[in-house]
Amino acid sequence: MADVQNNPDVEYVVQMKGIDKVYGNGVAANKGVDFNLKKGEIHALMGENGAGKSTLMKMLFGLEQPTAGEIVVNGETVQLTSPSVAIAKGIGMVHQHFMLVPSLSVAENMVLGMVPKKGMFIDETEAIRITKEYAEKYNLHVEPTARVADIPVGMKQKVEILKALVRGAKILILDEPTAVLTSQETEELFHELTNLKKQDYTIVFISHKLNEIKEITDRLTIMRNGRSMGVYNTADVSKEEISRLMVGRDVILNVQKDKAQPTDTVLKVRDLEYVNEWNKKMLDHVSFDVRKGEILGIAGVEGNGQKELVDMLFNFNKPDAGTVTVNGENILGVSQQLIREKGVSLVPEDRMLYGIAGKASIEENILSDRSTKKEYNNGPFFNLNQIHEDTDRLIKDYTVLCKSRNQQVGMLSGGNIQKVVVAREFSNNPVLILADQPTRGIDVGATEFIRKKLVELSRSGIAVLLVSADLNEVMELSDSLIVMHNGHITAYFEDTSSLTDAEMGEYMLGLKEQTAEEIGRVCHD
Amino acid sequence: MTKKREITFSIVRGLLAIAIALIVATILIFISSDGATFGEKISATGAALKQFLIGPLFRIGKNGLQFEPKRLTDVLAGMIPITFTGLGVCIMFSANQFNLGVEGGIMLGAFVSALAAIYMPLPTILHAVVAVLLGGAAVGVMMLLPALLKVKLGVSEMVCSLMLNYIVMYIIKYLMNTRLADKSKGQIQSYPFKETALIAPIADTTVFTSSKLTWGFVIALLAVVSCGLFMYRTHWGYTIRMIGINQDFSLYSGMKVGAVIVLAQVIGGFLSGMGGGIEMLGRYNTFSWSSLPGYGWTGMTVAILAGNNPWFVPFATFFIAYLNKGCDMMATYANVPAQLIDIVQAVVFLFFAAEQFLSKYRQSLVVKTAKEELAAQEGGTAHV
Repeated sequence: MADVQNNPDVEYVVQMKGIDKVYGNGVAANKGVDFNLKKGEIHALMGENGAGKSTLMKMLFGLEQPTAGEIVVNGETVQLTSPSVAIAKGIGMVHQHFMLVPSLSVAENMVLGMVPKKGMFIDETEAIRITKEYAEKYNLHVEPTARVADIPVGMKQKVEILKALVRGAKILILDEPTAVLTSQETEELFHELTNLKKQDYTIVFISHKLNEIKEITDRLTIMRNGRSMGVYNTADVSKEEISRLMVGRDVILNVQKDKAQPTDTVLKVRDLEYVNEWNKKMLDHVSFDVRKGEILGIAGVEGNGQKELVDMLFNFNKPDAGTVTVNGENILGVSQQLIREKGVSLVPEDRMLYGIAGKASIEENILSDRSTKKEYNNGPFFNLNQIHEDTDRLIKDYTVLCKSRNQQVGMLSGGNIQKVVVAREFSNNPVLILADQPTRGIDVGATEFIRKKLVELSRSGIAVLLVSADLNEVMELSDSLIVMHNGHITAYFEDTSSLTDAEMGEYMLGLKEQTAEEIGRVCHD
Repeated sequence: MTKKREITFSIVRGLLAIAIALIVATILIFISSDGATFGEKISATGAALKQFLIGPLFRIGKNGLQFEPKRLTDVLAGMIPITFTGLGVCIMFSANQFNLGVEGGIMLGAFVSALAAIYMPLPTILHAVVAVLLGGAAVGVMMLLPALLKVKLGVSEMVCSLMLNYIVMYIIKYLMNTRLADKSKGQIQSYPFKETALIAPIADTTVFTSSKLTWGFVIALLAVVSCGLFMYRTHWGYTIRMIGINQDFSLYSGMKVGAVIVLAQVIGGFLSGMGGGIEMLGRYNTFSWSSLPGYGWTGMTVAILAGNNPWFVPFATFFIAYLNKGCDMMATYANVPAQLIDIVQAVVFLFFAAEQFLSKYRQSLVVKTAKEELAAQEGGTAHV
């Protein structure tokens, strides 16, 4: 396990030396980081959330400027003041959230900002020709005339990669490229990346997924707490060693849990139907039950109705037909306040929009669903002692890393923000927890903590509905599991222990479907 | 950044904004000052500035400065109406409701209180209390209009309340002109208020004779305390603030978002109405306003200076009342147009509202703090 940092014999295409970055909110995201790239390598950049990976790459792509340090590209010291400067230096970035215009065609997206013209109009045929040419050259197959809104996620990603290549990128930064892909699509992507590597392209691969890193990368840089923990040849380090370097301790990636002993039905969903504003059927006769003491997982590629389902359950939207009850009482079309009074908690998918008020303190964020509670009010005034005491206890119990309860939530790292959200959602005596992508994009430590907590709560007799696009998570945590495809439940597994990824993939992609009878077993009438 | 540095930054920034405003004011005074030669103009400017800056407290005589209690009480009296409108705006803006109805609100409050003062037979003190509360209540009801339209139909409260100001003003003018004017007088004014409804001056010694500093000032300070406690120590105030920060989050958390949005605007209206009543019954003995008094607009400046925090409202209102008095002094003794105050206010306001003003200085403080923390974390081994 040799640190292969500064080998004077090797020529680097990119060298970042002694990079410091302090953000406006006082967060020192990078501290004296060295990072370099060899020509024609796939280089993994790893680290927990908040370790400073994204910040480092944003500086390489000109989205942020370093507070101190030097960036050398192809032997020349450069000031990357904006993405256009970085692109001119041959650096391209594919963001985790795609930067495409959904209403335009693939070809139009490809040529945005460098449009071929015929007179005053866009030369559509030329745009298509360029797209085809590049797609063939790099073996990245896309449909030039399709609207971006209509193509699958995997193809969107290819469009993003092609976009960077068309603009002359020789160095590609991919920010968690596999986060949204199915396992089949991931394999395809790896094949394409290997191809690009052969053509002397340099690729930075940001990821949390150890298996993928081992499979595809040549070298890796590990970051922890804003510092580089060293550069290694991927072949020389084991997964366990990487994990130790990332979090400074051995992470148990398997959550231990006893067998579930489900009892009464808490959440009962029957025949939910919903057609969205573009006339697409998003929920198609969705029926299932969640019982006390079990975790029911919903697996599926994103965009197959999971989001719509959760929206219905928490009154952010109304279905066209169907019923939803919690302990026998209707919650469809009922205000969030009443839903919460019935003991339903939601860990929302979009934590920045729904989960927190960023400019408010940790304490104010934890107080949000219980500010009118009796213990917290003396007549018209808050009982601040009680509130402080409970907040401090939750901060401690949920190991929220912060200066004090008065710190702004928006200043915390993603993992700590999510801990504040779950501290609130798990602590108000819920009977049902809806956990929508509870660990998306957060660090290993926080992920492990939240998963353990979910198991613990379910074993204490709470019903948990877990919606997650992370196959590992949903398979590991769920006691039983349903799969959604095209707004429809395609499979129900009473026991998840013997399931394989490949089998799941087939149901998730709609290649296979169980019989109505098999699926119907999820309703425990 | 540490709390201390955050405060230092706010103070430096505030003082600098004021300093820049004063420089702009100086230039304008210089341009408009009398004097044939450059030297004369300079000395005229100097004299005007002196009046502007220290005139609100001191008489500038041949024997030096002499403290004038009457001028101080004038400044304090000037704080009364804008404290109420400022508080009202603070509460509405905290809920992210850009309701501009306080301007019409203060006029309506004054009008309703005046009617109560003229036509209701009630004993002293109680009469004033009832009149002021009625003024407040009337404006609270008035604010239901933009608030309910916003919550139920998504109508912009800003446009609606802005227009409402003029509707209110013209209705009052219409009523005054046609029904309520005292026909025996040479101008449009109401019948005199009953003695029982007038708000008394705080002290009646020789020093304070003819002062307009009434018990309204004490009520204004009490209102500050009540609003401060309301916003930071009760769950209603908390809910208002959370809605202002993130409405989606508040809804998701199970707060009664619609009801609280209405509540914030009704309270804001109530406060401005009270302000109107107190101003009317404290300073005048007939109702003769024929146009919007401007206290509502100033209230918005107050709220922005105070960062929507009720506890800072008295400082902001003192500052503005002082500037106002300074301009009066300048206009009286140094022949400078009183309109200048609006320009000075606008400049201060501009720099307070400009987020990016001094952002580089702020960033350097942030970096410094972060480095210190880092050094402390690592036992001082890292170089700072």
